Amino acid sequence: MKRLLHTATRVAALALALGMSLGFASCSKQESGPKKLYIFNWTYYTPDSVIAKFEKEYNCKVVYDSFDSNESMFAKLKAGGSNYDIVFPSADYVSIMVKQGMLAKIDKSKLSNWKNIDPAVLARSKDYDPDNQYSVPYYMGAAGVAVNKTKVKKYDRDWSIFSRKDLKDKMTMLDDMREVMGDALAFQGKSVNTAKDDEVAAAEKLINEGWKPNLLKFDAEAYAKLFASGETWVAQGYAESIFAEYDQAKRGDVDFFIPKEGGPLYIDSMVILKDSKSKDLALKFIDFIHRPQNYAEFCDAFGFPCTANIPARALKKGDAWYKAEDLTKCELKLDLGQDLEKYNAAWQDIKVGK
Amino acid sequence: MKRNYGRAYAAPEALWLTFFFAAPLAIIVAYSFCKRDLYGGVLPQLSLDAYRSLANPTLIAVAWRTLWVSLAATVITILIALPCGYSIARSGNQAMRLFLIIVPFWTNFIIRVYAWIAILGNEGFVNDVLRAIGLTTDSVQFLYNQGAVILVLVYMYLPYAILPLFSTIDKFDFNLLEAARDLGATRMQALRKILIPNIRGGLVTAVLFTFIPIFGAYAVPLLVGGKDSYMLGNVIADQVTKTRNWPLASSISMGVTVLTGIAAILYAVVSKRSTHHVIEESGIGPVSATAGIPSGGQA
Amino acid sequence: MRLRVRAFYRALRATIKGIRPLPPRIADFGAAAEKNNHAKRRKGVALSDFIYGAVIVFLFMPLVVLLVYSFNASKSGSWSGFSLQWYEKLFMGSGELWHAFANSLLIALTSATAATILGTLAAVGTARYSFWFKPYVKSMSFLPMIMPEIIVGVSLLVFFAGIGLKLGLVTVWMAHTTFNLPFVYLLVSARLEAFDPSVVEAARDLGATEGQTLMRVILPITMPGIASGFLTAVTLSLEDFVITFFVSGPGAMTLPLFIYSAIRFGVSPVINALSVVMVAGTVLLVYPARNFLKAYAAH
Repeated sequence: MKRLLHTATRVAALALALGMSLGFASCSKQESGPKKLYIFNWTYYTPDSVIAKFEKEYNCKVVYDSFDSNESMFAKLKAGGSNYDIVFPSADYVSIMVKQGMLAKIDKSKLSNWKNIDPAVLARSKDYDPDNQYSVPYYMGAAGVAVNKTKVKKYDRDWSIFSRKDLKDKMTMLDDMREVMGDALAFQGKSVNTAKDDEVAAAEKLINEGWKPNLLKFDAEAYAKLFASGETWVAQGYAESIFAEYDQAKRGDVDFFIPKEGGPLYIDSMVILKDSKSKDLALKFIDFIHRPQNYAEFCDAFGFPCTANIPARALKKGDAWYKAEDLTKCELKLDLGQDLEKYNAAWQDIKVGK
Repeated sequence: MKRNYGRAYAAPEALWLTFFFAAPLAIIVAYSFCKRDLYGGVLPQLSLDAYRSLANPTLIAVAWRTLWVSLAATVITILIALPCGYSIARSGNQAMRLFLIIVPFWTNFIIRVYAWIAILGNEGFVNDVLRAIGLTTDSVQFLYNQGAVILVLVYMYLPYAILPLFSTIDKFDFNLLEAARDLGATRMQALRKILIPNIRGGLVTAVLFTFIPIFGAYAVPLLVGGKDSYMLGNVIADQVTKTRNWPLASSISMGVTVLTGIAAILYAVVSKRSTHHVIEESGIGPVSATAGIPSGGQA
Repeated sequence: MRLRVRAFYRALRATIKGIRPLPPRIADFGAAAEKNNHAKRRKGVALSDFIYGAVIVFLFMPLVVLLVYSFNASKSGSWSGFSLQWYEKLFMGSGELWHAFANSLLIALTSATAATILGTLAAVGTARYSFWFKPYVKSMSFLPMIMPEIIVGVSLLVFFAGIGLKLGLVTVWMAHTTFNLPFVYLLVSARLEAFDPSVVEAARDLGATEGQTLMRVILPITMPGIASGFLTAVTLSLEDFVITFFVSGPGAMTLPLFIYSAIRFGVSPVINALSVVMVAGTVLLVYPARNFLKAYAAH
C-alpha cells in the first residue's frame, strides 16, 4: 500500500512537473528573452519579410497567431484568456469591440506615418470608429470575381454572370453570408447593410433562384484551388487567395474584376487590445507598417493596390489584381446589430435548401 | 481481507473528468437554456428560445439528411469491413495486413480529403482516364454532392470498422462453421446464421464507432459536399463561428448527443438480448469496449 | 524496486514478441483450444481477400496521389514536371511548420501519458472494486466520445476563461488529455474483462501487497490494452483540429492548425511533401513493431 502510494506519487509528481514546465514555458515568456509582441491576424495577411524586418529593427520577437474569420477571432477574444497585443478585425467588428470595451485608445501623435494614410479611407471610419480613436486602417479591399478567360469567352463584368445557366456547376461563391447577400443587394441597387425585410427577402430570392442553381457550391476554403485547377471557371472570392494559388505563368488567363454595381467593402484595421502589455511596441509596429516601403512590400506580396497608404503607391513594384478606383462603388460592411438575425435566417434557408 | 482501493484508483480520473468535462458540459447545458448575447456568448437570462428553434423545418430537414447520409455511410462501411475483417482473420500474416490498414491513418486528415479532390475532381485523375479512353467527353461531376460525402466518409471510417470486426472474428470458433456445413448448410447460410450472430459484439462496436462520428461530421461535408450536403455538424459549427448563436449550438448539440446516446443504448440492448454464450466466454465485454479503435476526430 | 522493474520489462518484451505473458489459468485452456480453431491456416484465396485487396488500393490511392504531387513542379493540379523544390522548401524554409510539428508531438506524448495513467488506474479500479461513484465514472468515460468536438472545444474555452487560465500549450494539453481519457479507459477495461480474478487471489495468498499486485500482476496482463490506449491517444492528439483551435493560445500552434490555415494559401505542395515524409517515417518506425500492432488490435 505504501509502495503503491509511493509509486503513484512519483508518477503524479512527474506528470505535474511536466505539466508545470509546459505551463511556465508558455506563460513566462515575458520575463525571459527579448520583448515579445503578440499579433492575432488573418492567415497570411502580413508577409514574413516585413515581420522579420520589424523584429530586427526593434530587437523583439513577434508571435503571429492567425484566424480565418472575424467570428472565430471574436469568440476567442470574448471568452478571454488570450494575451494578444495587436488584432486585425474588420470594420464591423471594430465597432463591436469598441462597444464592448475591448480596445485601447490609440495615441495618433506617436504614429509618425499617420500622414501617409489615405484620407479617403480615413473618411470611411465615421461609420465604425469615428475619428479613428481605436483603429488604424490596414487595408481596404473587396472580394471580386475571377474569370478564367480561356474557358469563358464572352461575359459581362458584373454580378449577372452568376445567373448564367450555361456556366452551371462551374462557378463558386464565398461561403460568407455578408459577402453573398451583399453582392445580391448591391446588384439590386440596395445597401449591403439594409435592414428592410423586403430587400433582404428579394436578395434571398435572387440568390436562391437565380444564382444558387448555377453554383457548384459555396466555398470559402478551397475555391482558389478549384479555380486554379480548372474545376471552376468563375469564382467569387478574394484576390489574394487566387493570386496565391494560380501559377505565375498563367496569370494572364485570369480576369479579376470588381463588378460595376459594387459590392461589400471591407476595411481591416489594426487595433490594440486594452489588456495588452506591450502597447508601446504595438504602436511602433503599426507605425512600421505604414512606412511606404513596408506597405508597398505588403501589397506586392498579395497583389493588392496600396489602398490605405498613398506614398507606398509610387514604391510598389508588382501588379495589382484590381485598382483602388474600382472600390469607389463598394459599400463598407457595417455591424448590423439585431438585424443580423434577418440575414441569418435568410442565409440558413439558402444553405439548407436543395 | 481485501481493502477497497477502488476509490483511490478511480478518484484521479473522476476528478479530472469532473473538472475538465463535467463542468464544461454543465456550461453547455446551461447555455442551451440561456438567451443569446448578440455578439456571442450568452446573457444570464433563462430562455427556451434555443429549444424552440429546434422545431424549425429547415433544421429538421438537415437532421433527416444527416441521418440518411450517416446510415448509408455506416451500412456501406460495415458491408465492406466484414469481408475485410474476415480476410485478415484467416490470413497467415495478420500483422502485416493490419499494418497496411493502419498506415493511411498517419497522414493528416485534411490532406487526405484534398487528395480525393485531386482524384475525383473534374480535372482529376479519374476524369482524365475516362476522357482518355473515350468514355466521356465532358468531365463527370463526381464531387460536391452527397455521394462524394458518403464515399469520403466511408474512406475515413473503414479502418474504424475493420479493426473491431477483425478482433471479434479472430476469436470466433471456426469449427462451428464446419459443424454447420456437416449438418447441410451452404457456405453462405453458415456464414449468415452462425458467423454473424456470433460476432455481434464486434459488429455493435464497429457500427457505433462508425455511425456516431459520422453523424457529427462536418469537415468532410464542408470540403467535398455541395449545395445539398449541409449536415448537422455544419449547422453547429456555423452557429458557433458564424452566426454566434451559442444557445442554439448548445441545444442542437444536446439533441445530437441525446439521439446518438439513445441509438447506442438501443443497439447495445438489442444485441445483448440475442447474444450467445460464446461471446461471454470469449471475453468480449461491454459493447463499447470490444476493440481498441480510435473513434477519431470529427470528420 | 529493481525486481519489479525487471518483471515489468520482461512482460513488456514478451508482449512485444506476441507471446501472452499470462500465468496458466483455466481460461488459457480455452485459449489453446481457440488457436486450433482459427481459420488462419486455411489455404486458398477467397472473395474476402479480393475485397481486402480492393480496400487497400482504395485506402492508399490518396497517398499515392500525394506522393506524385509532392514531386510536381507546379502548384496546381496538372502535372508539369518533376521537381524536388517542395521537399527543399519543407526542410529549408518551413521553420513555422516544424515548430508546429514539435508542438504537436509534445502535446501528443504528454497528453497520452497523462490520459494513460489516469485511465488505466480508473479502469483497474472499476474492474475490480465497487464504490459509490462507480456508475459516474463509467458513464463519464463514455460521454466525450458522443459529443460533437466543436461543442467540447467551445465549452473548454469558456471554462478556461472562466477560471482565468491563460490559453496556451498547457490548456491544449489539458483538453487533449480530457478527450483521450475515454479511449484509454475503454481499451484497458476491455482488456480487463478477460481478467481472471483468481490470479489476484493467488498473488494475495502469496503475500503480495496491493502495490505489488498492481505492478507485477495486473499491469503486465493489461499491457496490450494500455499500449493500445496510449497509441490511440497519441494518434487522436496528433490529428485533432477543432478542439485545439479553440483552446490554443499565442505560440501554441499545432500541426493540424498550421496545415488547415496553410492549405488555403498555396502552400499545399509543401504539406504534401510533409505528408510523404511523415508516412515514410512512420512506416520505417512502426514496421519492426508490426507484431506488436497485432496484439494492439487483437486483444
